Amino acid sequence: MHELSIAEEIYRVSRAAVADHGSGRLERVTVAVGELSAIEPDLLSFAWQALTESGPDAGSTLEVEWHAARQFCAACKSDKPRSDGSWLRLCPDCGTPLAVTGGMELDVMRVTFEPDGGDGAEKGEHDDG
Amino acid sequence: MTTKTERLNGKQSEVVDVRTRVLAANEEAAAKLRDRFRAGSALVLNLISSPGSGKTTLLEATVKALAGRLRLAGIEGDIATERDADRLRALGIPAVQILTGGACHLDARQVGKALDGARFPAFDVLFIENVGNLICPTTYDLGEDFKVALLSVAEGDDKPFKYPAIFARAEVTVITKSDLLPHVTFDLDAVSAQVATLNPGGRLMVTSSKTGEGIGVWCAMIEERLTAKRKAHA
Repeated sequence: MHELSIAEEIYRVSRAAVADHGSGRLERVTVAVGELSAIEPDLLSFAWQALTESGPDAGSTLEVEWHAARQFCAACKSDKPRSDGSWLRLCPDCGTPLAVTGGMELDVMRVTFEPDGGDGAEKGEHDDG
Repeated sequence: MTTKTERLNGKQSEVVDVRTRVLAANEEAAAKLRDRFRAGSALVLNLISSPGSGKTTLLEATVKALAGRLRLAGIEGDIATERDADRLRALGIPAVQILTGGACHLDARQVGKALDGARFPAFDVLFIENVGNLICPTTYDLGEDFKVALLSVAEGDDKPFKYPAIFARAEVTVITKSDLLPHVTFDLDAVSAQVATLNPGGRLMVTSSKTGEGIGVWCAMIEERLTAKRKAHA
């Protein structure tokens, strides 16, 4: 159960992204999670909620884009589906080692935030440069 | 990174295109560690397995076999107690205990801190013994040269397929407690086939820290890898 540690990293990356573009409250964070990343999306969402519920970003949503595992055989030139949920490392048809072409994702894709002074009234607060 | 504005519930929101690896900070820290280990001409192993599979006991046997020839050191990850570091220190090996306070894995920043904090002596081979867990430590690069997965015969012979991520990533799988084979149901050929499927380039060795079986093969592998690393970076 390292989803809490992963949620903390996602939060850190998200906050840094907001800081790069001003300041504000997180509304939604979209992450790509691959089937082979050893992350359970439901646990990750629960960890996100626990992490943010008592802070300034309470109510923000963690949205998970799920990426199924994909394995490609260079000899057959085609994707090979996994038969029973287990990993295949050798092509079931010709025995060639398969290349993992999807399912390892663990990325912060997009951060949506509500800027402070969203109506534009407080813009003078920022001292750029 | 681009910023655009959209309407959401009547409010102005900004969308930032981020596309950053979640573990980017850990990966940067691990890359720094890897540079540091290369500069020190040291080999680093990250040992991952279930609790009680015999990581510390294998290290004790390793220390006894290699101590006079190589400078060894250990970093021990646990949720609580200094027991594992104490066991290595009792054999004269410098060891730092990292207490994670509940976290189920070590990360690269903790390892860096452990190396900085203790006036750590120079070493030829560093063993990082991760928190006992077959899942979470798999995700975190610690700057190691390779991961080692341990599986004791008492854990059952279905584990590689049940925990594929670690057995696919570990360059070496060490079967431990082979002295218990007569007393447990453990099909070594089945495990061997599972590991070969998950990890066609991986090595599997069968050991018993109690009888000494396979310890010579394990230690020879460590010495070979150290020599190869030093040759590659000479």
